[in-house]
Amino acid sequence: MSPILTSIVGLPLAGAVAVALVPRNYRFVIRAIAQAATFLSMLIAFWMFWQFIPGKDGFQFVSSFEWVKSLGITLKLGVDGLNVGLVFMGTIVAFAATSMSYMIKDREKDYYLLLLVMITGILGAFASLDIFFFFFFHELALIPTFIMIGVWGKGDDKNYATFNITLYLTLGALIALVGLIALYVQTGAKSFDIAAITAYVKANPIPVNTQNWIFPLLLFGFGILVSLWPFHTWAPLGYGAAPTATAMLHAGVLKKFGLYGILRIAVPLMPEAARSWMHVIAFLCLGNIVYCGLVAIRQRQLNLLIGNSSVAHMGLIFLGIASLSVVGVTGAVVIMIAHGLLAALSFAINGHLYHQTQTENMDQMGGLMKRMPFIGTVIVATMMAGCGLPGFANFVGEAMTLFAAFKNFHLVTALAVWGALVIGAVYMLRAIRNIVHGPMPEHWQRANDAQGPLRKLPFILLGGTLLVFGCFPGLLTEKIKFSVEPIVNMANSTPAPAHK
Amino acid sequence: MGKETLAWLILFLPLAAAGTIALFTRKHPTVSVRLSICAVLASFVLTWAFAGAWNEAGRFSAAAEWISVGNFNIEMGITIDRLSWIMLLIVTGVGSAIHIYSYGYMKEDPAFSRFFASLSLFTFSMLGIVLANNFLQMFVFWELVGLSSYLLIGFWYGKASAADAAKKAFLTNRIGDFGFLLGMIAIWTAVGTVNFEEVRNAITANKGIFGTAASAIGFLIFMGAMGKSAQFPLHVWLPDAMEGPTPVSALIHAATMVAAGVYMLCRVFFIYGANPAWPEWLGVLDGISALQIIAWIGGITALLAALIAVQQNDIKRILAYSTLSQLGYMVMAVGLTGTDAAMYHLGTHAFFKALLFLGAGSVIHAMHHEQDIWTMGALKDKTPLTFWTFLIGTLALAGAPPFAGFYSKDAILAVAFEHAPFSLFPLAVIVAVLTTFYMTRLMLITFFGKERSDAAHHAHESPGVMTGPLVFLAILTVIGGFLGLGNIVNAETEHHAGSWISEAFAPFSHAPMAALSGIAAMLFGAFLAFGLYWNAERDPLPEMARTLSRGMRNRFYFDEFYETLIAGSQGALAKLADMVDRYLIAGLLVRGSSGFVEIGGRALRLVQSGNLQTYTFMLALGVALVLLIVFRTGL
Repeated sequence: MSPILTSIVGLPLAGAVAVALVPRNYRFVIRAIAQAATFLSMLIAFWMFWQFIPGKDGFQFVSSFEWVKSLGITLKLGVDGLNVGLVFMGTIVAFAATSMSYMIKDREKDYYLLLLVMITGILGAFASLDIFFFFFFHELALIPTFIMIGVWGKGDDKNYATFNITLYLTLGALIALVGLIALYVQTGAKSFDIAAITAYVKANPIPVNTQNWIFPLLLFGFGILVSLWPFHTWAPLGYGAAPTATAMLHAGVLKKFGLYGILRIAVPLMPEAARSWMHVIAFLCLGNIVYCGLVAIRQRQLNLLIGNSSVAHMGLIFLGIASLSVVGVTGAVVIMIAHGLLAALSFAINGHLYHQTQTENMDQMGGLMKRMPFIGTVIVATMMAGCGLPGFANFVGEAMTLFAAFKNFHLVTALAVWGALVIGAVYMLRAIRNIVHGPMPEHWQRANDAQGPLRKLPFILLGGTLLVFGCFPGLLTEKIKFSVEPIVNMANSTPAPAHK
Repeated sequence: MGKETLAWLILFLPLAAAGTIALFTRKHPTVSVRLSICAVLASFVLTWAFAGAWNEAGRFSAAAEWISVGNFNIEMGITIDRLSWIMLLIVTGVGSAIHIYSYGYMKEDPAFSRFFASLSLFTFSMLGIVLANNFLQMFVFWELVGLSSYLLIGFWYGKASAADAAKKAFLTNRIGDFGFLLGMIAIWTAVGTVNFEEVRNAITANKGIFGTAASAIGFLIFMGAMGKSAQFPLHVWLPDAMEGPTPVSALIHAATMVAAGVYMLCRVFFIYGANPAWPEWLGVLDGISALQIIAWIGGITALLAALIAVQQNDIKRILAYSTLSQLGYMVMAVGLTGTDAAMYHLGTHAFFKALLFLGAGSVIHAMHHEQDIWTMGALKDKTPLTFWTFLIGTLALAGAPPFAGFYSKDAILAVAFEHAPFSLFPLAVIVAVLTTFYMTRLMLITFFGKERSDAAHHAHESPGVMTGPLVFLAILTVIGGFLGLGNIVNAETEHHAGSWISEAFAPFSHAPMAALSGIAAMLFGAFLAFGLYWNAERDPLPEMARTLSRGMRNRFYFDEFYETLIAGSQGALAKLADMVDRYLIAGLLVRGSSGFVEIGGRALRLVQSGNLQTYTFMLALGVALVLLIVFRTGL
């Protein structure tokens, strides 16, 4: 029983309760509570990440509270190599997103309440070792997402975007839920505990024909949540309309829930089906990498460019999973973490620029490096990280993914390399060229850089972490690989009986 | 201090300088410049501690694990052998001279610190390429070099042309990098390692290890060099890169970075030892080896660039095309298996081309940032030191004995004569004629004749901090040839310590045909140029050969052609994808289905209201549905 994860997940929840109790005109207090809760949560998560012992069997920092005994539902939190980095990344993004919320001036109490609930849900989803709570926390995070986009969102397409994202994500979650319930019933393990189910399935494999209809439910249910092509159009639109913090949290962290579900549940429990579906995934991921990359080239709005590029990056993660090898899947997890930081950073930049210039149209910007040396530098670094510059964690993950995928998918990998190196560079460099380089129009004389250490902190934290993980990838890979190995081994194990 | 520490210091001192400047001394330019210069000088001095490396016994290597997952084991390593030691000397030696020169050249720029931080970052990245012991590490630094080049070309980012040039350079390089990365992925998939030594051993043990992919891998790896060393058809970025400050053009876009492609090919030359074979769908290429393609691309680049250089009027662009042409020579030599000749020319070229660029910088400085040679004239008396050093550089580039360029160019001509006497050898000789022609033209117009503008009239010599490096590089250019540089690079031939006089005449006894054609080509080129440009007021060539001249002036319309090509292919695809996304997927499917749901929602609103409720309802409906299925099927 360890209090670590309970406090990481519980602090934002406690913050939410505290915010609820503070009168709404105490705006400073409300913000201070939110900042303090997410900051402490981040510090504890850092400690957890530091203390984590790579290669140790099973889960660490486990805490559990029994809930519904008859159904085997327990609130069980814990981390292994697969999610320890994700939880840590999640807390960093959560703190950064809270820090970037200073732009919200309207109905702050409601906003911070929802933000903290969303953060609780996100961290809970990644820390849960129980399928029920795994799904419950995800829903807990999703509902505030919709409300925040609807109420504090921006742009002409706000209502349409809100509707779109709600529709898609609800549908995705629903399909995944059907798959999960089917899985619960089919395994007969009488437990929601992921470790217990995994052990049970190892001994009693699920028949292949059952796998063959449950796996696609999970794959496409989770896939929709991750904007797998062609179910991706909600993402750029939704993020484009969302308030900065919401976009940072969803694109950065919550979106990885689907990928995490595929890796934690779908692939190890249904290896035969996974193997037969990997070819489909490999081709669909090209839709993300190449097609959405091309769409990103055409965008004039920075928020839509970031949204589409974030969809494109998801393709590389799917490609790593499709390789079903330790190298590729470890690479995929590295990208999940790296992209979380990158997406948060990108949307924070977009938020700052929008706050300063009241526009997201890149054609109207230009030469902003002169007015904003700090943000300008961050933009260059972020865009470079986004097109796979070594030194940032994204490169490590992408390299591993591409190296591993080539063995089974020659042509797909070749096109993915083109997408990652060339198409990615085209739109990222165009963004730099249009926003910070070139002559500066007169009317941006009053646009300001991030002022003071507090406003710079979220950028430094996100970018710094990306850089540290990029230069010392062992910090991640040494933890991840030991947890990926059993998953990959299960996925590549001997065939299950065709019938029960 | 252990030798390993020293080796790591060579690599990391410039990074430390770059980091310190970026984080702490931005506001103190003089501190920044000292840090940057000290770092590169220290690396230069430390390199001498490894002088023993040019014997096989003195080879030094060290490595630290970087990533280790499954069979994906990547090191950050250091290999100092003959090849990398020479390259270390060139990078840190020429680098030091250019760092010092920049102190004078960039003095008035407000972003002085940023300039030196980028320069140090470049030095670090370049040293990383030189020292790398595996493919992926080389790729890491390869990309970082690309970044520093991007930052320095776009140093004056407020100028649209500079910002565009930086972007173009990075993107063109990325096309080459695509092949480079894909090639090393294929190597790893076949061999299971990216370590140079291990791959070399695997190929030695089994020449068929790459199967039918061998030639494709060879070509893909070469694509990296094609981008970095600006070989046809990816050559278009280098002339535009002249938008960067002149010391940057000298260091990065003449002496070192653009030579990295040639260095890389020499470093991984062992992959071309695998049995050549093409996959079935590329059957038309059967019988052509990757090396042949490399040689021809090098040759074509050399010729094409030399032709374009003949009709350029911007002093830096002439030198840029000249660099392209000389890089083409080196690549051609690699393709003809003459890696020693290529490395020899790489070394001497680094000296005299850096010298020429710094000389051009001094001229531009004297002319108050005017770069058109037709506004200059009679500068030899105004800027004597620049003139004499520039003349030395020109003679070396033209291949006049006994300057360094003569020996190295002769080595390449000899290789061409040996392996392709009736195709690439005559082509190389024609390039030599053109080289002398455009350089003589440049000299005559810039330094002789009449003053063509006020700026030329008021020109004055540059300060000592700038002319010092010029003299240093000029000395290297004079003596580099018979310092036995060729023998240091030349790993195969046992060197018998002969007198330096016999050394100086070696080309004539060793390959007389090559040496004599080289000298004849030089004299012929100079003769033509004198005839046309001695005391010329205008360029007579456009009137004499109208179409050819226009083609040369417009760089044979490559940029226009590529623009059309990109717009027609990738641009059109992007447009299509965007339309499909906007109107088909989002428009029809989503709006269609949302219309459907909206009707449902309206119906539901009779009972409940708002999205959240709809959502909950759907959730409940889903659960009910599953339970129904589960119970009905009785599972």
